[in-house]
Amino acid sequence: MTSPTTEPPKIKWSYMDHWRSQGPAGPIDQWQSRLAMTRFLRQVAAVGFDAIDTFDFRFWQILEQYGSVANYQEFVQEQGLERIVNTFHGVYYTPDRYAPEVPATHDTILEDFRVTMDRWSGIQLDNIIVMPGSRFFDEVGVSDDGLKHAAEVWGKVGQITQEYGVNLTCHHEFYGGIRTRAQIDAFYDYADPEFVKFFVDTAQHCIADVDPVDVYEAHHDRVTGFHFKDTRTKDVNEDYRLWPDAELSAVTTEKWFYEMGTAEGLVDFESFMRSVRDHGYTGWISVEHDKADKVGGDYSESTAIARWYAKNVLDGIYEEVAK
Amino acid sequence: MTGVRWGYALNQWDTNIDAFVRKRDHERAFKTISISGFSGVELTAVSFGPWEPFGSPHEIANLYGSLDGLRSFLSECALDAVSSYVYDPFVGFDVEMGRGPDPLDPGAVEQITGTALWFAEAVHRLGGDTLVVRPVGSAWQTGELSDDQVGTLARLWNEVGRRIAEHDVRLALHVDFLSALRLGDGIDRLLAATAPEFVGLALDTAELAVAGIDPVEFFRSHADRVRHIQLKNARELVDDAEALTPHAEQFVRTEGGARRIERWFFEPTDEGGLIDFEAFARAVADSDYSGWIVVESDQSPRPAESAMVSGWYVQKVLEPIIARSRHALGAPR
Repeated sequence: MTSPTTEPPKIKWSYMDHWRSQGPAGPIDQWQSRLAMTRFLRQVAAVGFDAIDTFDFRFWQILEQYGSVANYQEFVQEQGLERIVNTFHGVYYTPDRYAPEVPATHDTILEDFRVTMDRWSGIQLDNIIVMPGSRFFDEVGVSDDGLKHAAEVWGKVGQITQEYGVNLTCHHEFYGGIRTRAQIDAFYDYADPEFVKFFVDTAQHCIADVDPVDVYEAHHDRVTGFHFKDTRTKDVNEDYRLWPDAELSAVTTEKWFYEMGTAEGLVDFESFMRSVRDHGYTGWISVEHDKADKVGGDYSESTAIARWYAKNVLDGIYEEVAK
Repeated sequence: MTGVRWGYALNQWDTNIDAFVRKRDHERAFKTISISGFSGVELTAVSFGPWEPFGSPHEIANLYGSLDGLRSFLSECALDAVSSYVYDPFVGFDVEMGRGPDPLDPGAVEQITGTALWFAEAVHRLGGDTLVVRPVGSAWQTGELSDDQVGTLARLWNEVGRRIAEHDVRLALHVDFLSALRLGDGIDRLLAATAPEFVGLALDTAELAVAGIDPVEFFRSHADRVRHIQLKNARELVDDAEALTPHAEQFVRTEGGARRIERWFFEPTDEGGLIDFEAFARAVADSDYSGWIVVESDQSPRPAESAMVSGWYVQKVLEPIIARSRHALGAPR
């Protein structure tokens, strides 16, 4: 009698670590203590996530509390998760100092990535995620020349990151300078496909009136990851122009993002998953629902609901073809 | 297979008649419980009144069409069953929400049995097998129970247990920390007076611990009568004198007594907790116990978070202890 072979799953689920909770003395961030981090990681592991994603600006808290990035990953693993998959490069872009569309700032950007990648070299990441364009609040968006400049610098950044075995991948916020379908298509036409990858955020595209399935279909060959999250509102008021952060400043929309798996969401995740499956994507899918605690929400519950949907609906769609 | 099934109690969500009344609320709670690794949910009905979503046949019909409709809804949320219903006879299970009957009233047998039968039929049709009851009022109301009172209770619960067994549901007496049964050897006297085939115990780790009873030791000495287990943690003790405070339900349990204890119950993972849950899991593994273990964190201000951290602890710590030990003993039980 031979033992049945169990193939490893072709997709796995990671959790992007936006998180806030209530502690005994009021609201807390899980980075404030190892105890809070333990409680966060155990909740994520309990509902069946296999890994987490994080922000690279957490580096200093990691050093203070865990000593090194590798130590922090070990701490993550002690709670039953495999590893850290992706990190989001959180930088405030300004044309005078740091802007992909402005060549005069490119040396600063390249030096920033050399430092950043070195900091994270203690673990193996799949992707470092960037906003490919600045926020240009006073203009329609990035000019064609600006798109070319951005594509150029990200190509150079991608060469740096690949020296560390990490993809440079671009994430298009609804308020970003590269936000419309035409801008996205043009940007990837200019960008070197070997070094500039695409990270699809279902809700951000949807808010910007870009169909997430269509844009994925068009660019699937350079997609290296996803944020699966939902929205109930498209930006019909040009809220993307609001300063300093359209995710927080919009007057008529207090909460842009929701967990997937609710009837009110605008993103068609089932169609999206069929497309992911049909294009043969394997690897990690990240679940995100930033600002889940707004208007009475609860990160824990949203995380459970999203993971429930991934396990009970989306995994089944993916496995239909796997069979 | 260990013969143990893991459930989670819904009581921390269901706290008020103007909350948790919509199917949408129920769906989110059920999905949270399911994805946290539990296959069943325990329901506590606080009223038969029109606002009680799970203890009122009418409201179940309104929301779900029928008990079968509720079971289908649970299945759609990836839950196998309602593991158990919790029934306190003192709650007035009628539309006017009056005070319910006292188990120490010999004339209350038919009324209590009738309500228990509804719950038993309901839990059976919802895939579960246990009716958890509050067998007697609080210590301050009765003092230590007389032999006559123990006899009255035994006749009542034998009758209820016998009648609900016809629905394949077992009766489990739940001893809370204010219960009259905590005084003297009340628990053992009632157990001795009742028929083991019809009347068992619902062992609640926190309630016993607050009452000064070690739940691990208690389980090991009473395993043959334990029909149901509820796991939750506690940090503070209540001695007999405090339990005898007049109106202790309000002045001790709700207000926290003279010490102003803000919260009596916590998740099993609570670091300040009194209970050694790993020792408890070993005791279960060493026994023949099969059935539901329901994790509770009633009084949690954040139900989803409590369910999730408890789910981690069950999956990563408690269930492996039980599975390893029973495997080592050579056979599933």
